[in-house]
Amino acid sequence: MSAFDSYAPASARVTIADAAVQSWAMLVAAYRELNARKLFWVALALNAVVILAMAAVGIDENGISVLGWELPIPGLTTALFPRADFYKLMIESLGVGIWLGWLSTILALLSTASMFPDLAAGGVDTLLSKPIGRARLFLTTFACGLLFSTLQVATFSFLAFLLLGLRADTWEPGVFVAVPLIALLFSYLFCLQAVVGFITRSAVASVIVTLLFWILVFAVDTGETITHFQRVASRLELEMVDARLAKMQGAAGRESGERLRTETVERLGNWSLANDIALGIKTALPKTNETADLVRRALAISAGIGPKPDDEREVRVDDSGIMQRTRADRRRVELEVRKELDERTVWWVVGSSLAFEAFVLGIGVWYFRRRDF
Amino acid sequence: MVATAQADHGPRPFPADELAVDLTDVTKVYAGRVEALRGVSMAVRRGEIFGLLGPNGAGKSTLVKIMATIVRPTTARGTILGQPVGHRPTLARIGYLPEHHRFPKYLTGRQCVEFFGAMNLMRRAARRTSAERLLEVVGMNAWADRRIGTYSKGMQQRVGLAAALVNDPDFVMLDEPTDGVDPVGRSEIRDVLIRMRDEGRTVFLNSHLLGEVELVCDRVAIMLKGRVEVQGSLAELTQDSRRWTIEFEGEPPASLTPFGPARSTGSGTRHLIEISQGDLALVQDAIDRLRAAGCAVAGVHETRESLEQLFLRLVRDVDGRAAAVGAANVVAAQRKEAGR
Repeated sequence: MSAFDSYAPASARVTIADAAVQSWAMLVAAYRELNARKLFWVALALNAVVILAMAAVGIDENGISVLGWELPIPGLTTALFPRADFYKLMIESLGVGIWLGWLSTILALLSTASMFPDLAAGGVDTLLSKPIGRARLFLTTFACGLLFSTLQVATFSFLAFLLLGLRADTWEPGVFVAVPLIALLFSYLFCLQAVVGFITRSAVASVIVTLLFWILVFAVDTGETITHFQRVASRLELEMVDARLAKMQGAAGRESGERLRTETVERLGNWSLANDIALGIKTALPKTNETADLVRRALAISAGIGPKPDDEREVRVDDSGIMQRTRADRRRVELEVRKELDERTVWWVVGSSLAFEAFVLGIGVWYFRRRDF
Repeated sequence: MVATAQADHGPRPFPADELAVDLTDVTKVYAGRVEALRGVSMAVRRGEIFGLLGPNGAGKSTLVKIMATIVRPTTARGTILGQPVGHRPTLARIGYLPEHHRFPKYLTGRQCVEFFGAMNLMRRAARRTSAERLLEVVGMNAWADRRIGTYSKGMQQRVGLAAALVNDPDFVMLDEPTDGVDPVGRSEIRDVLIRMRDEGRTVFLNSHLLGEVELVCDRVAIMLKGRVEVQGSLAELTQDSRRWTIEFEGEPPASLTPFGPARSTGSGTRHLIEISQGDLALVQDAIDRLRAAGCAVAGVHETRESLEQLFLRLVRDVDGRAAAVGAANVVAAQRKEAGR
């Protein structure tokens, strides 16, 4: 046995009950820290403002209104949007998609930015001298950092639940699924912020790196969305070409059809390749948008809300019998894309994102365990 | 020096079961080959107050942090409270107050003490009772429910001491515990330390305040350049510096010549003679010669180095400059050596 082997033997463990005492104490301390921060209370108040703003909007058979003032927007009535769907859509798109998915998450990142730099800069001495392993200390501190986001989303979800019940007569417990999902979304980003903050000891650096990373994730997601859209559009166009080709009689028409088909197949191949690459990159990254979109799935908001697709559209043929390229109906492509996105399993969305998070946290724990203070 | 031999490479001076800390060959080399500790061996007995001294950068804090598992040693053999250094469950029996602590400012003093009780695996009722008692002991009961962010440095130090003691530890490591504390507070903290020793606990004190260390510590170690230079009780460490002064009335007799020249005190015919060796037989011999010569012995005084004198003697080199201290200086010296 080398001299170093006598240091911190692996057999030295504390019981689960002991670990629970420490973890609970850290969680309570984290709550007290949040309690002491003005930003926490400001963000909490903003949740109420967002819900009140939604509650101020009404919809009936005549149209929509804001604070009782009728707005002349043609077609926007309960005939198109049932009241429950209208509020669910607002909660999902504005409340979850923009407020929780972006603004509230940024507030949470700002509010928790100093946690790990503070830990690295001095708070860790007294904690490391206690019977707690470094990995557990790091991960428990990380879990405590999720408290801000969790409490914010829980407040928002409760208010959204009341909004649906009081304004749309729909008591929808599904809104509470936003709590774990948005906390997950926040955790994808917070893991990076935690590790960068701990290594650099700089809250500013950790926020900047995290926001830049989020922009990268957004860019990859946008790239994947565009290539996916084009891939589906090309596939639908190919189906249209094939359908028209089956009906073509003349040799000139068939020749132009085959040429158009070859072009479409080539285009489909290119977009498929681009989409596969984008999807591959996206798989390795956290899926922030799709995680937020799981709230929509949970609320069972119909994707069919909106104009109907033009199912009759087909490839145009000019007067000389030559096939002309016709773009697939945009609405039909959107619905097809939506259908395919919905077929992506929750395990793929959440599991691959958590794999990224585990990787980043693994780096953090590895660094924390090796470091002297 | 005997104490030095025992300290670094000699046999263990006390039976193992008497030791709260028993370290051998603790080394720490930081990145960049900075040698902070170069084979520290140290023995701290159970139930004593042990003082760790040394100039800035001698490696004291690194050693304390290794014992508290904050810094990982490059090599470390030995035990703390009978368990290997870094044994996690044993940490629940240890109290630690770091020098530059940063307690959460958003917690009140009471919450802070209870928080560290929980981190030491104490259940709620036990940590509440303990926190209440200790806040009283350190004189912070009146401010216990105010946030630490509103405390002065001294108040933070008092709460820190309470937090370090909340788990009723068998072994307490205190790094500059009286830093920023007023004289009354210092005296109170000293009383707490002495009370802990009387209860059978071991206190490990890292302090720059030599007078304070001298007042409360049973034994001390002085570190220099990453090594323990000497360790032992103050009596042991200053044994070599012990000397006797004999004051007498009358002219110095010729028979005193072997003891060196006598000096006049400047007060009448009173003279004094110093015997630099600590041997009492020599003192008796000198007194006999004085009496035989008809001189009246006015007084016999034993003098020895103070801790401060011992410390200064050790940390200064022959030219009277402070000894090269600290890992940074070690590196500089190594570079200089490599450059030759």
